[in-house]
Amino acid sequence: MNSSRNKTNESVVSSLHEVAEEMHNKMMRGTAPTMSLPVRTKKNIEFNKRLGVFKYGKKRSIRDATSLRSANQLLRALHIIEFIEEMINSGKSSTLREMYYISEGWGHGKFGSQNESNNLAEDLEIVTKCMREDFKLRPEEDGARMIGDITINERNRKGDWMRINARDDVGDSGYGVPYNVESEKLRLIANDVDFIMAIETGGMFDRLVENGFDEEHRAGLLHLKGQPARSTRRIMKRMNEEWNLPIIVFLDGDPWSFRIFASIAYGAIKTAHISEYLATPSATYLGITADDILAYDLPSDDLSSKDIEALKAELTDPRFADGWWQNQINMMLDLGKKAEQQSLAKYGLDFVTDTYLPEKLAELGLI
Amino acid sequence: MVSTRSKMQQASISEFFEKNKHFLGFDTLNRSIITATKESVDNSLDACEEARLLPDIHIEIRKVKGKSDELVMISQDNGPGIPPDSITKVFGSLLFGSRFHTIRQTRGQQGIGITGVVMYSQLTTGKKTRVISKVKQEATAVYVDIGLDTKKNKAISSNRKRNHWFNSDGEIIEHGVKVQAHMKAKYQRGKQSVHQYLRMTSIVNPHASLSLIVYDEDGAVIDEGDWPRVTDVLPHPVKEIRPHPHGQEIGSFQRFLRDSVERKMTSFLRHNFSGVSMRAAREILLKSEIDESRKPGSITAPEAQAMLVAFKKVKLLAPPTDCLSPIEDLLIKKGLSKAIDSKFVSTVTRSPSVAGGNPFQVEVGLIFGTDLPSDSPVEVLRVANRVPLMYQQGGCLLTKSIESVDWKKYGLEHPGGRGVPKGPAAILVHLASTHVQFTSEAKEALSDNEEVFNEIRLALQEVGRGLRNHKRKSKQREKALEKFELVNVILPEISAKCSAILGREEPDLAPVITSIMNAVFSEEMSEWDSNEKVTKCSIKLFNYTSRPRQYTILATWPEREGVEIVNENIEGRREARGLRKWKLETLQPSENLEISFSIDGLSKGDWTQFDVFFRGSGEIIGAMKLDEKILEEIRREEMAAIEEEMVAAEHVADEVMGSDIDDSKDLDSAELDEALNSPLGDVSSETTVVEGIEENGAEDSETLNREEITDDPTNSTRQSKLFEDKEWSGEE
Repeated sequence: MNSSRNKTNESVVSSLHEVAEEMHNKMMRGTAPTMSLPVRTKKNIEFNKRLGVFKYGKKRSIRDATSLRSANQLLRALHIIEFIEEMINSGKSSTLREMYYISEGWGHGKFGSQNESNNLAEDLEIVTKCMREDFKLRPEEDGARMIGDITINERNRKGDWMRINARDDVGDSGYGVPYNVESEKLRLIANDVDFIMAIETGGMFDRLVENGFDEEHRAGLLHLKGQPARSTRRIMKRMNEEWNLPIIVFLDGDPWSFRIFASIAYGAIKTAHISEYLATPSATYLGITADDILAYDLPSDDLSSKDIEALKAELTDPRFADGWWQNQINMMLDLGKKAEQQSLAKYGLDFVTDTYLPEKLAELGLI
Repeated sequence: MVSTRSKMQQASISEFFEKNKHFLGFDTLNRSIITATKESVDNSLDACEEARLLPDIHIEIRKVKGKSDELVMISQDNGPGIPPDSITKVFGSLLFGSRFHTIRQTRGQQGIGITGVVMYSQLTTGKKTRVISKVKQEATAVYVDIGLDTKKNKAISSNRKRNHWFNSDGEIIEHGVKVQAHMKAKYQRGKQSVHQYLRMTSIVNPHASLSLIVYDEDGAVIDEGDWPRVTDVLPHPVKEIRPHPHGQEIGSFQRFLRDSVERKMTSFLRHNFSGVSMRAAREILLKSEIDESRKPGSITAPEAQAMLVAFKKVKLLAPPTDCLSPIEDLLIKKGLSKAIDSKFVSTVTRSPSVAGGNPFQVEVGLIFGTDLPSDSPVEVLRVANRVPLMYQQGGCLLTKSIESVDWKKYGLEHPGGRGVPKGPAAILVHLASTHVQFTSEAKEALSDNEEVFNEIRLALQEVGRGLRNHKRKSKQREKALEKFELVNVILPEISAKCSAILGREEPDLAPVITSIMNAVFSEEMSEWDSNEKVTKCSIKLFNYTSRPRQYTILATWPEREGVEIVNENIEGRREARGLRKWKLETLQPSENLEISFSIDGLSKGDWTQFDVFFRGSGEIIGAMKLDEKILEEIRREEMAAIEEEMVAAEHVADEVMGSDIDDSKDLDSAELDEALNSPLGDVSSETTVVEGIEENGAEDSETLNREEITDDPTNSTRQSKLFEDKEWSGEE
């Protein structure tokens, strides 16, 4: 897929060694060891015109061992480097969670939480410009479920290619997207759909499946399971790029859904270093929009103080800088309300497939 | 006064009791048992103190079978016992109280005494109060039942007998009193309970051992408590003093005049009041237009009124304050630490002061713990003359003083700056005074008094500064510990791992450590050595900078009589009162150094924390730079204190002289008065007269001195100055 995929084990190890070298050099010069990396906040993401996604900007932070916290981080990073090198040398791989447990034996290098080990692994990805697959680390997070007339080839554990149609060869729960969806593992073969609809909640996904929305509207349905995993975003990106399928995103109408959409379309702040592989800039937000709440008179909840805080943060997030989003966010703030996808059931079980979605898709010019 | 007393006698005693049960402390069933306990315990503590005995007081409360609202209270002490002749007087006389002409700080000022318990028991259950009393001089104890003749307001004793008195181990009890009263009452737990009362009493009477056991009607223990003494040092005996004119009110003053045996007004004033010199007595009489030779008994009410006015206009010597018995900071600290598990305790005993002619002294303690609830108001422990106040917290001067302090400044939550602050803390305020003013006869809340209020505020601010200092210090210490872990543990691991991954040599970490720390650290420790019976202190200094450093280190210690510094590994010198200094050799980069010493004369838990200061350039993490201006002030104060002591010593000498004169016949003093009056008297031949003049002159100049000292606004302890210094330098 890209340059980083083609990294050899040797180049990965040498990139990791550079991190240790930075620390060693500093100490040889009599100063505190450091690790420098881009600032990973919304203040340091910039729109990359060439790639059409948000990437980290030029702001860098230096993590130096002058506080106990930072020193611990450096020590842990060194333990990870050593661990990855061992896995590369012995041809093994591990999940992030396994690494978290393995760190139990690292003394002071032990992680305080799995979140911490995940973040550190990401830090190393960013500093070395490698991906975690290069590090032989994989997530244990579930990939998405997919239903629709889409045919793929997936290499199974025996190394054989298996042809799967995500409508005919699967049960009601659909095709489970694996954590690795790169071409060595998964190939996109054929499709007979007009667009991919990414859906936030399992309840709505199942509703659309039960109502036969995929067949009636020639749609590929994808269940995001909340904030989508890397592989979910990656497979959407591939279907969009390789098949030219529009990605339509159907989420709850709340500030957190806006963020899910931003990570699908523009790139997530946490993974801005690989936005060009994960983000689908042409993805479209279908709903629930703030004006849907009014237009469809949906049952709604009051915004919590956290919701309001999140919406206000989004107003200054460069990914939401365009007029449509500013408008939506401000409207939701004025309204003081949020609504779930499933609130559409107010008008009956078929309302979403018979009325809401067709109307919205028509608005977008898709049907 | 006469009329009040006779009226009281005429009224039926039960009527009287019924009308006044609120101020007698028997208005609710729960309060009655607390009051009964309080009266017995107060009596026991006062008696033991007077007899110089360490009190052991045991309280037992039993529920009565079949009566849900009756209790039997048994209190036993190891006090001197009551002489057989006085038993009925002590237990049966309502107005048997403090002596007439002298005032002093006693617990007994509060409540009507044990008589109230006898009365209440009789009125509610008809039962007599059983008393056993044993004095050392007699072979046997007196056993007697005390009741009251409600018509004659007289105690009646019955079943009087003498017998040996044994304890539960069959040993003869040498001296003590046991009281058993059966009354209508209910036992409850909580903030207002016998348990809480005894707990508080134990905090403020650290020399007393108290215990409590409560049985239900089936004999099962339903509550108990044990508060052993934390010191064997008895409070120093309180001196009786004559009242001061500034505290006089018309009624009591007229009583003085009426009862006076003196024949002249000058003698009357000088003999009955403190702080009145001959010159002052004359001036008072002149200002109130009363002839010196008048008989005190002939003074009319308007004339007495005029004298009260004159008292305020004439310069008087302040009353002596050695009549007060403060608990003292170290003992409060111990008492509080015993009762409440804590991380930090700060206590302050202010110098004695005078309000309205009454000597008073304020002590406060603040305890900051981890086990206390952090989101509720701090526990307020109010105490007057070592007696805990249990009711009416809101309207009490002591509470108002606490509420008036800006606690946010000192690290406690204080929502809206109103009310009692919140946090895991307890605040104790003790007012010792010869005249405690209550808001009402209930004697549970102190009434407003500006001087007392201000003194309490100053003391609270001082412990507040201590708390803030403690919090800042613990934060600094935490940071320092982190840094130590960083350079001593984590950094070497980083170095080893890096080198292993890269297959390169390990770097020399010394310069790295210096660059990371870039500071000098100080760490002090204070702990009790139970083998050597000393408090061991140490101060460790680490130079983690790239330059050699040289410092003078100073530390606070509880300098007082009988306490000394021993076993110093580096010879130190006294810098000021309570401040020791050590001039140190040059400390090279990455070197460390330890000052160690022991403090002798303290006991366990007396000295657990101290402050470290330094002189020299730069900063030391864990120590504070000494502000020389403040030190100068401490020294000035110290000089003033020494002068005060010298003046006081002179005063004592004068008193001895003066009392000689006073003891002589009234005629002698009349003669003396005359001699002093006559400017034509043969001065050279009357040596005594010359001395008299000189004495008075000295006394007057002393008056000025004393007042200057008392009014000095900088009259706070040295410790507080050092804390203030931190405040001024503003290094939050």
